[in-house]
Amino acid sequence: MTDSRQSRARAEISFVVNGQARTVHAYPMERLIDVLRQQLELTGTKEGCGEGECGSCSVLIDGVLVNSCLVPVLQVQGSSVVTIEGLAAGEKLHVLQQAFLECGGAQCGICTPGMILAACHLLEGRLEPTTEEIREGLSGNLCRCTGYRQILEAVAEAARRRTAA
Amino acid sequence: MRSNPSEYEMAAPGSLHATVSLLAREPGVWIPIAGGTDLMVQYAAGKLPSRKLVSIWNLPELRRVEVAAREIRIGAGCTYTDLRANQVVGGEFPLLHIAARWTGSVANQNRGTIGGNIVNASPAADSLPALLVYDAELILVSVRGERRLPYASFHTGYKKTLLAADELVRAVCLPRRFAGHFSHARKVGARNAQAISKVCIAALGRLADGVVDDVCIALGSVAPVPLRLTETERTVRGKVIDSDLLLLAKKAAATEIRPIDDIRSTARYRSAVAGNLVAEFLNRLNSERIGTERGGAKEVLAKWNCLPLEKAMESILPCCGSQAWVRGMVARRPLSNESALLAASNETWHNLTPADWMEAFRSHPRIGESRPDDSLSTQSRTVQSVEWSAQEQRTVADSEAAVKIALAEANREYERRFNRIFIVCATGKSAPEILDILQQRLRNDTETELQETAEQQRQITEIRLRKWLQG
Repeated sequence: MTDSRQSRARAEISFVVNGQARTVHAYPMERLIDVLRQQLELTGTKEGCGEGECGSCSVLIDGVLVNSCLVPVLQVQGSSVVTIEGLAAGEKLHVLQQAFLECGGAQCGICTPGMILAACHLLEGRLEPTTEEIREGLSGNLCRCTGYRQILEAVAEAARRRTAA
Repeated sequence: MRSNPSEYEMAAPGSLHATVSLLAREPGVWIPIAGGTDLMVQYAAGKLPSRKLVSIWNLPELRRVEVAAREIRIGAGCTYTDLRANQVVGGEFPLLHIAARWTGSVANQNRGTIGGNIVNASPAADSLPALLVYDAELILVSVRGERRLPYASFHTGYKKTLLAADELVRAVCLPRRFAGHFSHARKVGARNAQAISKVCIAALGRLADGVVDDVCIALGSVAPVPLRLTETERTVRGKVIDSDLLLLAKKAAATEIRPIDDIRSTARYRSAVAGNLVAEFLNRLNSERIGTERGGAKEVLAKWNCLPLEKAMESILPCCGSQAWVRGMVARRPLSNESALLAASNETWHNLTPADWMEAFRSHPRIGESRPDDSLSTQSRTVQSVEWSAQEQRTVADSEAAVKIALAEANREYERRFNRIFIVCATGKSAPEILDILQQRLRNDTETELQETAEQQRQITEIRLRKWLQG
């Protein structure tokens, strides 16, 4: 992060999004979620509360789960960002997406991208997470539809499939 | 009211030196921003005091933990995730480790920093009472140089601190002299997770010759600043913990705190809970003494808390042969005493899947068979667990031939019926008693019997954990 422009002007900010190098012209304090949705048209990332409580705007920055509503875009300069759009390989859904689909882990869909990215971050660190570890891993992601049970099942199912594969 | 980003400036100088130079050029104008978990919320609400921000996120000088012989220096830019992953914090400063785990969600722990928590100066912050009881000192840095001051003096009023307009918090220093202390943390909030505290406590204590030799107590959310209860500490120091002392301690705590009514709770509730939390800590400290006298439980746990992952898993596996349980327990480190260990075990066990339970069941030999059946062998059975099984089943091994034959027969019937071996917590039970239990349990339906088996395994694990604590 060497950009030290201080004028109230848009900055040129380069980072990798879902494996592709991108450069945006944005105000440094623009929130990452707004840049993703408006400039890069990656509308899979949803805004819920806008204050880091609900997790629906979760994305990965350099493999680490964050709330994109709390990240000023200047801070992602040179980083690699993964959004929900970056998980599937073409037509083939990510194992988590497939499991959410089959277990009924998605209802209205607002929390789903965040849930899946939080689960993705969890599964990166744990080969076979316990139910308790899954609960903790998803604790910052709120869902108002499912009652969570199907979501927990979907993540456990995805972990099983990944191990079996 | 959403802020308009075009009205804000942000600098990202990329080094500590360049950052403090910028702060010195225009003191009080530039707001340092790390992970943004507090400031971006204020920004969104249009409540930032300035429109110029300087990013200190991921500055290498601020994001490291230095371990020296007498103290550890935690860089102010370390995140809660960094703290949770740090072995020295986990092993010697469990209260800080626990507070890091309690702070927000995984995503917020990945971005929120200890320095941000200190400067944000919320009286409800979970990690600040822990810093108070560990006698933390802060290193502040500016172009004028560094200065070091006791953290206890840093907060001067509600959201007011001694930080000068051109200064940054560089590091938090914790003296490494509390590893032998009993520690206790408790958070009282509307929910267990993702809730800001109504009241929280962090406390340390040590007994010598039956009296309180050293004690540090701090509370959150009971005053405009995180509060160290120095009067209460004075009241209990040098005394035997009994019911009279608990009353005196509660009274002293009530005179020290200055709770308020707010959206989360009332002054009256906070006052009652604060007294109860202090009393609970003293009670635990006292029972810890009784526990310690029984064996080196604390040393065993302290050592285990610091073991590398694989070794820690290997060490505790004989207590319960489920790999998921083992992982759950290791993830809950540090555990400071027997009651925390048993509580962690129970919670972990209840949250496992039936498949995980089955794995634990399979690690036992059939009751009445001193040697485990090799056809049932699993990687979860260890030399220690086989030895413990033999101890637990001694009364059966020594019983009359007729009872043994009846047990063997009932075992076979049980295995046909439920497709797994019969598990019972055999410690303290005679062979005829066990036979009786086995025959009764054969009448259970599948689900009832699964739950009963899980409960028996839970009891076995508890007994084994107590043995394990003997070292």
